[in-house]
Amino acid sequence: MLRLAFVGKGGAGKSSIVGAFSRLLARRTGEAVLVLDSDPMPGLAFSLGVEPDDAGPPEEAVEPGPEGGPRYVLRPDWRPDRLVERAAVHAPDGVRLLQLGKSTGGGLTQPALHAYQQVIDALVPGSAPSMSQELDVRLGSSTPLHRWHAIGDLPGGTRQPFMGWGRFADTFLVVVEPSAKSVLAARRLAHLATGWSHGREFTVQAVANKVRDDADAGWIAERTRLEVIAAVPWDAQLSDADRSGRTPLDAVPDSRAIAAVDSLVARMLQRQEEPA
Amino acid sequence: MRIVVVGKGGSGKTTTAAVVARTLARGGTPVIALDGDTNANLGISLGIGLDATEALVSLRERLDLGEAEHADDVDALLDRFGSEAPDGVRLAVATRVQAPEPGCPCCGLSIEQLLTQLQATGHTVVADLEAGIGTLTRLRPGGIDTALVVVEPTPRSIEVGLRVTGLAREKGATRVIVVANQVGGAEDVAAVRRAIDTDEVIGVPYDDAIVRADRAGTSPLDDAADGPAVRALVELAGMLSPSGVR
Repeated sequence: MLRLAFVGKGGAGKSSIVGAFSRLLARRTGEAVLVLDSDPMPGLAFSLGVEPDDAGPPEEAVEPGPEGGPRYVLRPDWRPDRLVERAAVHAPDGVRLLQLGKSTGGGLTQPALHAYQQVIDALVPGSAPSMSQELDVRLGSSTPLHRWHAIGDLPGGTRQPFMGWGRFADTFLVVVEPSAKSVLAARRLAHLATGWSHGREFTVQAVANKVRDDADAGWIAERTRLEVIAAVPWDAQLSDADRSGRTPLDAVPDSRAIAAVDSLVARMLQRQEEPA
Repeated sequence: MRIVVVGKGGSGKTTTAAVVARTLARGGTPVIALDGDTNANLGISLGIGLDATEALVSLRERLDLGEAEHADDVDALLDRFGSEAPDGVRLAVATRVQAPEPGCPCCGLSIEQLLTQLQATGHTVVADLEAGIGTLTRLRPGGIDTALVVVEPTPRSIEVGLRVTGLAREKGATRVIVVANQVGGAEDVAAVRRAIDTDEVIGVPYDDAIVRADRAGTSPLDDAADGPAVRALVELAGMLSPSGVR
Protein backbone atom coordinates (compact mmCIF):
# COMPACT_ATOMS: atom_id res chain seq x y z
CA MET A 1 0.00 0.00 0.00
CA LEU A 2 1.24 3.50 -0.72
CA ARG A 3 2.61 5.52 2.20
CA LEU A 4 3.10 8.91 0.63
CA ALA A 5 3.51 12.42 2.05
CA PHE A 6 3.27 15.54 -0.09
CA VAL A 7 5.38 18.39 1.26
CA GLY A 8 6.58 21.77 0.04
CA LYS A 9 6.18 25.51 0.33
CA GLY A 10 2.68 26.86 0.71
CA GLY A 11 1.08 27.99 -2.51
CA ALA A 12 2.98 25.48 -4.67
CA GLY A 13 -0.21 23.51 -5.25
CA LYS A 14 0.14 20.61 -2.85
CA SER A 15 -3.49 20.46 -1.77
CA SER A 16 -4.74 20.63 -5.35
CA ILE A 17 -2.51 17.71 -6.30
CA VAL A 18 -3.27 15.64 -3.19
CA GLY A 19 -7.03 15.95 -3.67
CA ALA A 20 -6.95 14.76 -7.26
CA PHE A 21 -4.25 12.14 -6.63
CA SER A 22 -6.17 10.48 -3.80
CA ARG A 23 -9.41 10.13 -5.74
CA LEU A 24 -7.64 8.92 -8.89
CA LEU A 25 -5.77 6.36 -6.78
CA ALA A 26 -9.05 5.09 -5.33
CA ARG A 27 -10.57 4.87 -8.81
CA ARG A 28 -7.60 2.97 -10.25
CA THR A 29 -7.24 0.43 -7.47
CA GLY A 30 -10.69 0.12 -5.91
CA GLU A 31 -8.82 0.00 -2.61
CA ALA A 32 -9.18 2.00 0.62
CA VAL A 33 -7.52 5.42 0.44
CA LEU A 34 -7.01 7.51 3.55
CA VAL A 35 -5.99 11.14 3.18
CA LEU A 36 -4.30 12.77 6.16
CA ASP A 37 -4.64 16.53 6.24
CA SER A 38 -2.10 17.97 8.64
CA ASP A 39 -2.58 21.59 7.68
CA PRO A 40 -4.18 23.79 10.34
CA MET A 41 -5.53 26.00 7.54
CA PRO A 42 -8.45 24.89 5.35
CA GLY A 43 -7.64 23.94 1.76
CA LEU A 44 -7.67 20.22 1.01
CA ALA A 45 -11.44 19.98 1.36
CA PHE A 46 -11.86 22.15 -1.77
CA SER A 47 -9.64 19.86 -3.83
CA LEU A 48 -11.30 16.67 -2.66
CA GLY A 49 -14.80 17.93 -3.11
CA VAL A 50 -16.07 17.91 0.47
CA GLU A 51 -17.51 20.68 2.58
CA PRO A 52 -14.84 22.45 4.61
CA ASP A 53 -15.18 21.51 8.26
CA ASP A 54 -12.98 22.68 11.08
CA ALA A 55 -13.33 19.64 13.28
CA GLY A 56 -10.42 17.36 14.00
CA PRO A 57 -10.59 13.96 15.63
CA PRO A 58 -13.20 14.09 18.41
CA GLU A 59 -11.93 14.71 21.92
CA GLU A 60 -13.89 11.73 23.19
CA ALA A 61 -11.52 9.52 21.22
CA VAL A 62 -8.79 9.99 23.81
CA GLU A 63 -8.36 9.67 27.54
CA PRO A 64 -5.49 10.78 29.77
CA GLY A 65 -2.49 8.52 29.43
CA PRO A 66 -0.69 6.56 32.11
CA GLU A 67 1.69 8.18 34.58
CA GLY A 68 5.00 8.87 32.89
CA GLY A 69 3.55 8.03 29.49
CA PRO A 70 1.94 10.07 26.72
CA ARG A 71 -0.45 12.76 27.85
CA TYR A 72 -3.37 11.28 25.95
CA VAL A 73 -3.99 7.83 24.53
CA LEU A 74 -6.74 6.55 22.29
CA ARG A 75 -9.64 4.90 24.09
CA PRO A 76 -10.10 1.18 23.41
CA ASP A 77 -13.16 1.70 21.23
CA TRP A 78 -11.37 4.46 19.30
CA ARG A 79 -8.36 2.44 18.15
CA PRO A 80 -6.85 3.98 15.02
CA ASP A 81 -8.79 1.90 12.50
CA ARG A 82 -12.04 2.52 14.40
CA LEU A 83 -11.25 6.23 14.67
CA VAL A 84 -10.84 6.36 10.91
CA GLU A 85 -14.11 4.50 10.44
CA ARG A 86 -16.00 6.74 12.86
CA ALA A 87 -14.43 10.16 12.40
CA ALA A 88 -12.99 10.35 8.88
CA VAL A 89 -14.97 12.47 6.43
CA HIS A 90 -16.42 10.69 3.40
CA ALA A 91 -15.02 12.13 0.18
CA PRO A 92 -16.03 11.13 -3.36
CA ASP A 93 -14.72 7.90 -4.91
CA GLY A 94 -14.68 6.22 -1.51
CA VAL A 95 -11.77 8.26 -0.22
CA ARG A 96 -11.71 9.01 3.51
CA LEU A 97 -10.27 12.23 4.90
CA LEU A 98 -8.89 12.46 8.40
CA GLN A 99 -7.88 15.95 9.29
CA LEU A 100 -6.02 17.71 12.00
CA GLY A 101 -8.45 20.26 13.32
CA LYS A 102 -8.34 23.74 11.82
CA SER A 103 -6.83 26.27 14.15
CA THR A 104 -9.56 28.88 14.08
CA GLY A 105 -12.46 26.51 14.30
CA GLY A 106 -11.39 25.48 17.76
CA GLY A 107 -10.44 22.12 16.30
CA LEU A 108 -6.77 22.26 17.14
CA THR A 109 -6.81 21.07 20.73
CA GLN A 110 -4.27 18.95 22.57
CA PRO A 111 -6.49 15.86 22.71
CA ALA A 112 -7.23 16.13 18.99
CA LEU A 113 -3.54 16.55 18.19
CA HIS A 114 -2.66 13.45 20.15
CA ALA A 115 -5.43 11.41 18.56
CA TYR A 116 -4.33 12.46 15.10
CA GLN A 117 -0.68 11.69 15.81
CA GLN A 118 -1.56 8.24 17.09
CA VAL A 119 -3.36 7.34 13.89
CA ILE A 120 -0.24 8.42 12.01
CA ASP A 121 1.96 6.36 14.30
CA ALA A 122 -0.25 3.34 13.77
CA LEU A 123 0.33 3.62 10.03
CA VAL A 124 4.08 3.16 10.41
CA PRO A 125 4.93 -0.25 8.97
CA GLY A 126 5.63 -2.70 11.71
CA SER A 127 2.98 -1.28 14.02
CA ALA A 128 1.43 -4.64 14.64
CA PRO A 129 -2.33 -4.90 14.36
CA SER A 130 -3.90 -5.85 17.63
CA MET A 131 -5.80 -9.04 18.26
CA SER A 132 -9.08 -7.14 18.33
CA GLN A 133 -8.25 -5.50 14.99
CA GLU A 134 -7.72 -8.93 13.47
CA LEU A 135 -11.11 -9.94 14.86
CA ASP A 136 -12.70 -6.87 13.36
CA VAL A 137 -11.29 -7.74 9.95
CA ARG A 138 -12.78 -11.20 10.12
CA LEU A 139 -16.09 -9.76 11.23
CA GLY A 140 -15.83 -7.21 8.43
CA SER A 141 -16.43 -4.26 10.71
CA SER A 142 -13.46 -2.08 9.74
CA THR A 143 -10.52 -2.03 7.39
CA PRO A 144 -7.28 -2.49 9.29
CA LEU A 145 -4.85 0.35 8.82
CA HIS A 146 -2.25 -1.68 6.99
CA ARG A 147 -4.77 -2.18 4.19
CA TRP A 148 -5.26 1.51 3.56
CA HIS A 149 -3.24 3.58 1.13
CA ALA A 150 -2.19 6.62 3.17
CA ILE A 151 -1.62 9.96 1.46
CA GLY A 152 -0.56 12.93 3.58
CA ASP A 153 -0.89 16.63 2.86
CA LEU A 154 1.62 18.26 5.17
CA PRO A 155 1.68 21.99 5.91
CA GLY A 156 3.95 24.29 3.99
CA GLY A 157 6.77 24.74 6.48
CA THR A 158 9.99 22.82 6.26
CA ARG A 159 10.13 21.96 9.93
CA GLN A 160 10.80 18.29 10.33
CA PRO A 161 8.03 16.74 8.30
CA PHE A 162 9.88 13.47 8.46
CA MET A 163 9.03 13.16 12.10
CA GLY A 164 5.62 13.83 13.55
CA TRP A 165 3.00 14.07 10.85
CA GLY A 166 5.12 12.48 8.14
CA ARG A 167 6.29 9.48 10.16
CA PHE A 168 4.05 7.07 8.33
CA ALA A 169 5.54 7.83 4.91
CA ASP A 170 8.13 5.90 2.95
CA THR A 171 8.09 8.46 0.17
CA PHE A 172 8.09 12.25 0.41
CA LEU A 173 7.08 14.09 -2.71
CA VAL A 174 8.15 17.72 -2.61
CA VAL A 175 5.85 19.85 -4.73
CA VAL A 176 7.98 22.55 -6.34
CA GLU A 177 6.93 25.35 -8.65
CA PRO A 178 9.44 27.13 -10.87
CA SER A 179 10.34 29.92 -8.46
CA ALA A 180 13.41 30.60 -6.37
CA LYS A 181 11.39 30.52 -3.14
CA SER A 182 9.86 27.16 -3.91
CA VAL A 183 13.28 25.78 -4.82
CA LEU A 184 14.75 27.12 -1.58
CA ALA A 185 12.10 25.34 0.48
CA ALA A 186 12.70 22.12 -1.47
CA ARG A 187 16.44 22.33 -0.92
CA ARG A 188 15.98 22.72 2.81
CA LEU A 189 13.70 19.69 2.88
CA ALA A 190 16.17 17.62 0.87
CA HIS A 191 18.93 18.73 3.21
CA LEU A 192 16.89 17.85 6.30
CA ALA A 193 16.21 14.43 4.80
CA THR A 194 19.88 13.58 4.42
CA GLY A 195 20.45 14.32 8.07
CA TRP A 196 17.45 12.38 9.21
CA SER A 197 17.21 8.76 10.18
CA HIS A 198 14.41 7.20 12.09
CA GLY A 199 15.54 3.72 11.36
CA ARG A 200 13.55 3.47 8.18
CA GLU A 201 14.36 3.88 4.55
CA PHE A 202 12.55 6.67 2.80
CA THR A 203 12.75 8.44 -0.52
CA VAL A 204 12.50 12.16 -1.25
CA GLN A 205 11.63 13.16 -4.78
CA ALA A 206 10.15 16.20 -6.48
CA VAL A 207 6.95 16.84 -8.35
CA ALA A 208 7.38 19.89 -10.54
CA ASN A 209 4.13 21.86 -10.63
CA LYS A 210 2.85 24.69 -12.82
CA VAL A 211 5.64 24.09 -15.33
CA ARG A 212 5.38 26.12 -18.51
CA ASP A 213 7.89 24.28 -20.66
CA ASP A 214 10.35 21.38 -20.65
CA ALA A 215 13.12 23.58 -19.35
CA ASP A 216 11.23 24.26 -16.10
CA ALA A 217 11.33 20.64 -14.88
CA GLY A 218 15.03 20.42 -15.69
CA TRP A 219 15.67 23.73 -13.91
CA ILE A 220 13.89 22.43 -10.83
CA ALA A 221 15.85 19.16 -10.90
CA GLU A 222 19.11 21.04 -11.19
CA ARG A 223 18.40 23.66 -8.51
CA THR A 224 16.89 21.23 -5.96
CA ARG A 225 19.20 18.32 -6.74
CA LEU A 226 16.13 16.09 -6.40
CA GLU A 227 14.85 13.59 -8.94
CA VAL A 228 11.76 15.08 -10.58
CA ILE A 229 9.37 12.16 -11.02
CA ALA A 230 6.47 14.10 -12.48
CA ALA A 231 5.97 17.44 -14.16
CA VAL A 232 2.45 18.84 -13.84
CA PRO A 233 1.93 21.56 -16.42
CA TRP A 234 0.68 25.04 -15.75
CA ASP A 235 -2.99 24.69 -16.63
CA ALA A 236 -5.32 27.65 -16.92
CA GLN A 237 -8.38 25.40 -16.61
CA LEU A 238 -7.21 23.96 -13.31
CA SER A 239 -6.12 27.34 -12.03
CA ASP A 240 -9.54 28.82 -12.84
CA ALA A 241 -11.35 25.95 -11.15
CA ASP A 242 -9.15 26.25 -8.08
CA ARG A 243 -9.54 29.99 -7.83
CA SER A 244 -13.30 29.85 -8.12
CA GLY A 245 -13.58 27.18 -5.45
CA ARG A 246 -14.58 24.32 -7.76
CA THR A 247 -13.04 20.88 -7.33
CA PRO A 248 -10.65 20.49 -10.31
CA LEU A 249 -11.18 16.74 -10.74
CA ASP A 250 -14.94 17.31 -11.10
CA ALA A 251 -14.85 20.61 -12.95
CA VAL A 252 -12.06 19.97 -15.47
CA PRO A 253 -11.43 16.20 -15.49
CA ASP A 254 -9.88 16.26 -18.96
CA SER A 255 -7.38 19.00 -18.21
CA ARG A 256 -3.66 18.44 -18.84
CA ALA A 257 -2.84 18.91 -15.18
CA ILE A 258 -5.29 16.21 -14.08
CA ALA A 259 -3.87 13.87 -16.72
CA ALA A 260 -0.40 14.47 -15.34
CA VAL A 261 -1.55 13.70 -11.78
CA ASP A 262 -3.16 10.49 -13.07
CA SER A 263 0.17 9.49 -14.63
CA LEU A 264 1.82 10.12 -11.29
CA VAL A 265 -0.66 7.76 -9.63
CA ALA A 266 0.16 5.09 -12.20
CA ARG A 267 3.85 5.62 -11.69
CA MET A 268 3.67 5.36 -7.91
CA LEU A 269 1.62 2.13 -8.16
CA GLN A 270 4.02 0.66 -10.69
CA ARG A 271 6.97 1.49 -8.46
CA GLN A 272 5.28 -0.35 -5.64
CA GLU A 273 5.12 -3.48 -7.82
CA GLU A 274 8.79 -3.37 -8.72
CA PRO A 275 11.14 -5.55 -6.71
CA ALA A 276 13.06 -3.49 -4.13
CA MET B 1 5.73 51.12 14.30
CA ARG B 2 5.30 47.37 14.31
CA ILE B 3 3.80 46.13 11.05
CA VAL B 4 3.00 42.44 10.56
CA VAL B 5 2.21 40.88 7.21
CA VAL B 6 -0.02 37.82 7.41
CA GLY B 7 -2.04 35.55 5.16
CA LYS B 8 -2.30 32.16 3.51
CA GLY B 9 0.91 30.64 2.14
CA GLY B 10 1.51 31.60 -1.47
CA SER B 11 -0.78 34.66 -1.33
CA GLY B 12 2.07 37.15 -1.74
CA LYS B 13 2.79 38.26 1.81
CA THR B 14 6.57 38.00 1.48
CA THR B 15 6.56 40.06 -1.71
CA THR B 16 4.30 42.60 0.00
CA ALA B 17 6.49 42.78 3.11
CA ALA B 18 9.66 43.28 1.05
CA VAL B 19 8.33 46.02 -1.22
CA VAL B 20 6.74 47.87 1.71
CA ALA B 21 9.95 47.60 3.75
CA ARG B 22 12.20 48.94 1.02
CA THR B 23 9.78 51.68 0.01
CA LEU B 24 9.46 52.96 3.59
CA ALA B 25 13.25 52.89 3.83
CA ARG B 26 13.59 54.87 0.60
CA GLY B 27 11.37 57.50 2.19
CA GLY B 28 13.80 57.90 5.06
CA THR B 29 12.28 55.58 7.68
CA PRO B 30 14.82 53.24 9.30
CA VAL B 31 13.45 49.74 8.69
CA ILE B 32 14.10 46.27 10.04
CA ALA B 33 12.58 43.50 7.93
CA LEU B 34 11.94 40.52 10.20
CA ASP B 35 11.48 37.07 8.72
CA GLY B 36 9.53 34.83 11.09
CA ASP B 37 8.43 32.31 8.49
CA THR B 38 9.53 28.68 8.55
CA ASN B 39 10.08 29.04 4.81
CA ALA B 40 12.32 32.02 5.36
CA ASN B 41 12.57 33.62 1.95
CA LEU B 42 12.07 37.33 2.68
CA GLY B 43 15.70 37.83 1.63
CA ILE B 44 14.86 36.75 -1.92
CA SER B 45 12.04 39.30 -2.20
CA LEU B 46 14.24 42.00 -0.68
CA GLY B 47 16.86 41.31 -3.33
CA ILE B 48 19.79 39.76 -1.49
CA GLY B 49 19.67 36.62 -3.67
CA LEU B 50 18.91 32.92 -3.19
CA ASP B 51 22.35 31.93 -1.92
CA ALA B 52 22.57 34.64 0.75
CA THR B 53 19.01 33.85 1.83
CA GLU B 54 19.77 30.15 2.03
CA ALA B 55 22.87 30.87 4.14
CA LEU B 56 20.71 32.62 6.75
CA VAL B 57 18.23 29.73 6.80
CA SER B 58 21.05 27.26 7.16
CA LEU B 59 22.43 29.24 10.08
CA ARG B 60 19.11 29.04 11.94
CA GLU B 61 19.06 25.29 11.37
CA ARG B 62 22.57 24.97 12.80
CA LEU B 63 21.44 27.02 15.78
CA ASP B 64 18.66 24.49 16.25
CA LEU B 65 21.21 21.68 16.23
CA GLY B 66 23.40 23.44 18.75
CA GLU B 67 26.05 24.07 16.14
CA ALA B 68 25.87 27.87 16.11
CA GLU B 69 26.26 30.57 18.73
CA HIS B 70 23.20 32.28 20.14
CA ALA B 71 22.98 36.07 20.06
CA ASP B 72 23.28 37.81 23.45
CA ASP B 73 21.16 40.78 22.59
CA VAL B 74 19.07 42.32 19.84
CA ASP B 75 22.04 44.02 18.19
CA ALA B 76 23.85 40.70 17.99
CA LEU B 77 20.68 39.12 16.55
CA LEU B 78 20.58 41.75 13.83
CA ASP B 79 24.24 41.28 13.16
CA ARG B 80 24.61 37.53 13.25
CA PHE B 81 21.23 36.36 11.96
CA GLY B 82 20.78 39.22 9.59
CA SER B 83 22.01 40.88 6.50
CA GLU B 84 22.15 44.25 4.85
CA ALA B 85 19.49 44.49 2.17
CA PRO B 86 18.98 47.11 -0.54
CA ASP B 87 17.81 50.63 0.38
CA GLY B 88 19.38 50.32 3.82
CA VAL B 89 16.87 47.79 5.11
CA ARG B 90 18.27 45.45 7.74
CA LEU B 91 16.99 41.88 7.35
CA ALA B 92 16.80 39.70 10.48
CA VAL B 93 15.82 36.05 10.39
CA ALA B 94 14.08 34.77 13.51
CA THR B 95 12.44 31.51 12.52
CA ARG B 96 11.30 29.41 15.46
CA VAL B 97 13.65 26.74 16.70
CA GLN B 98 12.72 23.39 18.21
CA ALA B 99 14.35 24.03 21.58
CA PRO B 100 14.33 27.76 22.34
CA GLU B 101 16.18 29.11 25.38
CA PRO B 102 13.66 31.12 27.37
CA GLY B 103 14.52 34.82 27.25
CA CYS B 104 17.21 34.37 24.61
CA PRO B 105 16.97 37.36 22.24
CA CYS B 106 17.61 35.27 19.15
CA CYS B 107 15.32 32.33 19.79
CA GLY B 108 13.46 32.54 23.07
CA LEU B 109 11.40 35.69 22.78
CA SER B 110 7.76 35.73 21.84
CA ILE B 111 6.97 37.53 18.60
CA GLU B 112 5.56 40.57 20.41
CA GLN B 113 8.61 40.78 22.68
CA LEU B 114 10.88 40.63 19.66
CA LEU B 115 8.86 43.22 17.75
CA THR B 116 8.89 45.56 20.72
CA GLN B 117 12.61 45.18 21.33
CA LEU B 118 13.39 45.75 17.67
CA GLN B 119 11.14 48.82 17.62
CA ALA B 120 13.01 50.14 20.65
CA THR B 121 16.12 50.42 18.49
CA GLY B 122 14.31 53.22 16.67
CA HIS B 123 13.33 51.24 13.60
CA THR B 124 10.00 50.54 12.00
CA VAL B 125 9.65 46.77 11.93
CA VAL B 126 8.01 45.01 9.00
CA ALA B 127 7.52 41.37 10.00
CA ASP B 128 6.76 38.56 7.55
CA LEU B 129 5.08 36.04 9.80
CA GLU B 130 4.41 32.34 9.44
CA ALA B 131 1.89 31.56 6.71
CA GLY B 132 -1.58 31.07 8.11
CA ILE B 133 -2.75 31.96 11.52
CA GLY B 134 -0.54 30.20 14.06
CA THR B 135 1.70 33.07 15.08
CA LEU B 136 -1.16 35.52 15.42
CA THR B 137 -2.99 33.06 17.62
CA ARG B 138 -0.07 33.03 20.04
CA LEU B 139 0.43 36.80 20.02
CA ARG B 140 -0.35 38.71 23.21
CA PRO B 141 -2.81 41.57 22.66
CA GLY B 142 -1.10 44.89 22.09
CA GLY B 143 1.89 43.32 20.40
CA ILE B 144 1.37 44.88 16.98
CA ASP B 145 0.26 48.22 15.55
CA THR B 146 -0.65 47.49 11.96
CA ALA B 147 -1.61 44.24 10.26
CA LEU B 148 -1.44 43.83 6.50
CA VAL B 149 -3.66 40.87 5.66
CA VAL B 150 -2.78 39.55 2.23
CA VAL B 151 -5.60 37.81 0.42
CA GLU B 152 -6.06 36.46 -3.09
CA PRO B 153 -9.53 36.76 -4.59
CA THR B 154 -10.24 33.02 -4.25
CA PRO B 155 -12.64 31.34 -1.81
CA ARG B 156 -9.82 29.48 -0.06
CA SER B 157 -7.70 32.56 0.44
CA ILE B 158 -10.62 34.75 1.46
CA GLU B 159 -11.59 32.11 4.02
CA VAL B 160 -8.18 32.40 5.62
CA GLY B 161 -8.15 36.20 5.27
CA LEU B 162 -11.45 36.50 7.07
CA ARG B 163 -10.15 34.53 10.05
CA VAL B 164 -6.86 36.38 10.10
CA THR B 165 -8.52 39.82 9.99
CA GLY B 166 -10.75 38.99 12.93
CA LEU B 167 -7.84 37.67 14.91
CA ALA B 168 -5.64 40.72 14.20
CA ARG B 169 -8.38 42.96 15.59
CA GLU B 170 -8.76 40.79 18.67
CA LYS B 171 -5.05 41.15 19.25
CA GLY B 172 -5.37 44.90 19.31
CA ALA B 173 -4.00 45.95 15.93
CA THR B 174 -4.99 49.62 15.63
CA ARG B 175 -4.98 49.37 11.88
CA VAL B 176 -5.87 46.40 9.70
CA ILE B 177 -5.41 46.79 5.96
CA VAL B 178 -6.52 44.02 3.63
CA VAL B 179 -4.27 43.67 0.62
CA ALA B 180 -6.25 42.03 -2.17
CA ASN B 181 -3.42 40.55 -4.19
CA GLN B 182 -3.25 39.27 -7.78
CA VAL B 183 -6.61 40.82 -8.60
CA GLY B 184 -7.89 40.71 -12.13
CA GLY B 185 -10.03 43.82 -11.83
CA ALA B 186 -12.48 45.86 -9.76
CA GLU B 187 -14.85 42.91 -9.31
CA ASP B 188 -12.13 40.90 -7.55
CA VAL B 189 -11.50 43.73 -5.11
CA ALA B 190 -15.25 44.06 -4.57
CA ALA B 191 -15.50 40.35 -3.79
CA VAL B 192 -12.86 40.74 -1.09
CA ARG B 193 -14.60 43.83 0.34
CA ARG B 194 -17.90 41.98 0.51
CA ALA B 195 -16.38 39.05 2.34
CA ILE B 196 -14.14 40.84 4.81
CA ASP B 197 -15.49 43.64 6.91
CA THR B 198 -12.72 46.20 7.10
CA ASP B 199 -12.20 49.93 6.46
CA GLU B 200 -9.15 49.70 4.29
CA VAL B 201 -8.74 47.43 1.28
CA ILE B 202 -6.09 47.97 -1.36
CA GLY B 203 -6.04 46.03 -4.64
CA VAL B 204 -2.74 44.85 -6.10
CA PRO B 205 -3.18 43.74 -9.73
CA TYR B 206 -1.98 40.44 -11.14
CA ASP B 207 1.31 41.30 -12.80
CA ASP B 208 3.33 38.99 -15.04
CA ALA B 209 6.45 40.95 -14.16
CA ILE B 210 6.11 39.79 -10.54
CA VAL B 211 5.83 36.18 -11.70
CA ARG B 212 9.02 36.62 -13.73
CA ALA B 213 10.87 38.20 -10.81
CA ASP B 214 9.70 35.31 -8.61
CA ARG B 215 11.06 32.77 -11.03
CA ALA B 216 14.36 34.56 -11.28
CA GLY B 217 14.61 35.04 -7.51
CA THR B 218 15.02 38.80 -7.71
CA SER B 219 13.18 41.61 -5.94
CA PRO B 220 10.15 43.01 -7.77
CA LEU B 221 11.41 46.48 -6.86
CA ASP B 222 14.47 45.81 -8.97
CA ASP B 223 12.94 43.84 -11.84
CA ALA B 224 9.29 44.83 -11.98
CA ALA B 225 9.40 48.38 -10.70
CA ASP B 226 7.32 49.89 -13.50
CA GLY B 227 4.56 47.36 -13.26
CA PRO B 228 1.10 47.89 -11.75
CA ALA B 229 1.72 45.55 -8.80
CA VAL B 230 4.78 47.38 -7.51
CA ARG B 231 3.04 50.72 -8.06
CA ALA B 232 0.15 49.55 -5.89
CA LEU B 233 2.49 48.27 -3.17
CA VAL B 234 4.38 51.58 -3.18
CA GLU B 235 1.02 53.28 -2.66
CA LEU B 236 0.36 50.94 0.26
CA ALA B 237 3.69 51.94 1.81
CA GLY B 238 2.60 55.55 1.41
CA MET B 239 -0.50 54.80 3.48
CA LEU B 240 1.74 53.52 6.25
CA SER B 241 4.52 56.04 6.23
CA PRO B 242 4.65 58.40 9.17
CA SER B 243 5.80 61.20 6.90
CA GLY B 244 4.22 60.34 3.56
CA VAL B 245 6.41 58.48 1.09
CA ARG B 246 7.05 59.21 -2.57
